Amino acid sequence: MHDAPLIGPYNPDEVLAWETDGPRTARQFLSDVSRLADSLPDRPAVLNLLSSRYEFLVGFGAAMLRGQLTLLPQSRAPQTLRRIAGDYHESYCLTNQDEPVEGIESVVLRRHGSIAGWPKRIPHIPLDRVAAIAFTSGSTGQPMPNRKTWGALTAVARATGARLGLKTGERAAVVATVPHQHMFGLEASVMLPIMHGFVMHAGRPLFPADIRDALAEVAGKRILVTTPLHLRACVTEGVCVPPVGLILSATAPLSRSLAQEAERHFQTEVHEIFGFAEAGSVAERRTIDGDRWRPLDTVRLVQDRTVWVVHADYLPVPVRVPDRITVDADGRFVVHGREVDQINIAGHRVSLGDLNQKLLEIEGVQDGVFFLPDEGADLVTRLIACVVAPGKTVEEIQQGLRTRIDPVFLPRPLLLVPRLPRNDTGKLPREALLKLAEQHAKRLSHEA
Amino acid sequence: MGPSASSPLEQDLAALIVQTLKLKVDPATIQPEAALFGDGLGLDSIDALELSLAISQTYGYQLKSSDPEIKAIFSSLRALSNAIEKNRTK
Repeated sequence: MHDAPLIGPYNPDEVLAWETDGPRTARQFLSDVSRLADSLPDRPAVLNLLSSRYEFLVGFGAAMLRGQLTLLPQSRAPQTLRRIAGDYHESYCLTNQDEPVEGIESVVLRRHGSIAGWPKRIPHIPLDRVAAIAFTSGSTGQPMPNRKTWGALTAVARATGARLGLKTGERAAVVATVPHQHMFGLEASVMLPIMHGFVMHAGRPLFPADIRDALAEVAGKRILVTTPLHLRACVTEGVCVPPVGLILSATAPLSRSLAQEAERHFQTEVHEIFGFAEAGSVAERRTIDGDRWRPLDTVRLVQDRTVWVVHADYLPVPVRVPDRITVDADGRFVVHGREVDQINIAGHRVSLGDLNQKLLEIEGVQDGVFFLPDEGADLVTRLIACVVAPGKTVEEIQQGLRTRIDPVFLPRPLLLVPRLPRNDTGKLPREALLKLAEQHAKRLSHEA
Repeated sequence: MGPSASSPLEQDLAALIVQTLKLKVDPATIQPEAALFGDGLGLDSIDALELSLAISQTYGYQLKSSDPEIKAIFSSLRALSNAIEKNRTK
């Protein structure tokens, strides 16, 4: 097999996507793709900034038919967009009418075209075609481009579906709160539904009431693709939702207690995906079952001296796992944290990821993070922890930590905060953490 | 009362925003007509999510993005306060 169809098995008049104004059938989709493909300028690469998940997919499909590379910027910040556009000669933006980007040539998507006949054969894309470039979010350094072939995108979608027990052609629909320009969003909220013949909801619900409404708009087995932040919002608000068949979370670690609450609230299983931009989704776990991740069936983890690398048929070269992991004999693994997370306090080495994991295990902790402030006048610079744990006291959490970690790593101070300063993709920029700690220090000194 | 003077609900709401989002500003200095997001207080969509939870819990008003007025509602303290006044259940 050298190519794969643009979409999975749909009958022509089956619903492929649910837009704000109603359904889009597979027939409409292929018409929209072919019409847009005919009108795109003759260029090598396109920044697809379309905010509707359906329109994004039309743009993505049209670009592939024209052999154009789709660029997935990690943010919409004009500076980021201009830098990427500058790096990719002759690229242009595909965008909505009301959201032009200054300084980059923009093509505006025209809506509501006529519907053409069903093609004799659904367009196929070569598996080795680089379909998209995803840029890493930069919390581990400079933004890096990651090339995604059509083969990798389709294989990950199928392997993820198989792992989650989803069946091709079953009546199911994906509603997602994550951006589709992000790697996890592209894989789980776009590729997963369209490779399996599911309905893809085009919206990006934010508030709990939005999530409820989006879920109510679709039928069949509802799959919610989301993040710990949105899950916490839904649980806290206690919003009543229609039955959900499965929840898939990623982008930030989900605490076991929040996973339990979410399973109770939504009356369904909450699964997490482990992945990184270089390899895409790599493993899955049901959070309440334990720490261990189970690699997708397409993935093999191989030890190369001190590090682990991901092998898969669709990866042109093996990719190094950026985290420190321990792999058991059965192939399942535990993640201890990013290699760059290694810190040293008074001669003791530890990974911040390990500490974060221990923190999240404590009863009542919904979110939390350790970090090392810049060196000050003190002899030893101590760790700071910011913790979200409504109803818990600092002492209770410190007690939980004392039983789990070396005393040298106990946070001083441990700050109880209503939330962590996570950015749009769930990451915690160091600058934001430092600012948060500084604000608390000031507040404490006022109260003293 | 001049155009920039705050109503009691606006003052309460300003305090709720500052407390919920842990902003380093005095609630009294938030201008009722000034932008909350973008150039104003510089809030983002995650802040909007946090804020919506606090508003729901305090006033029993559930915000929705599908509300055609949502951009107007979030445009300023005064607009948000007016929307809460109209929709509050507690």
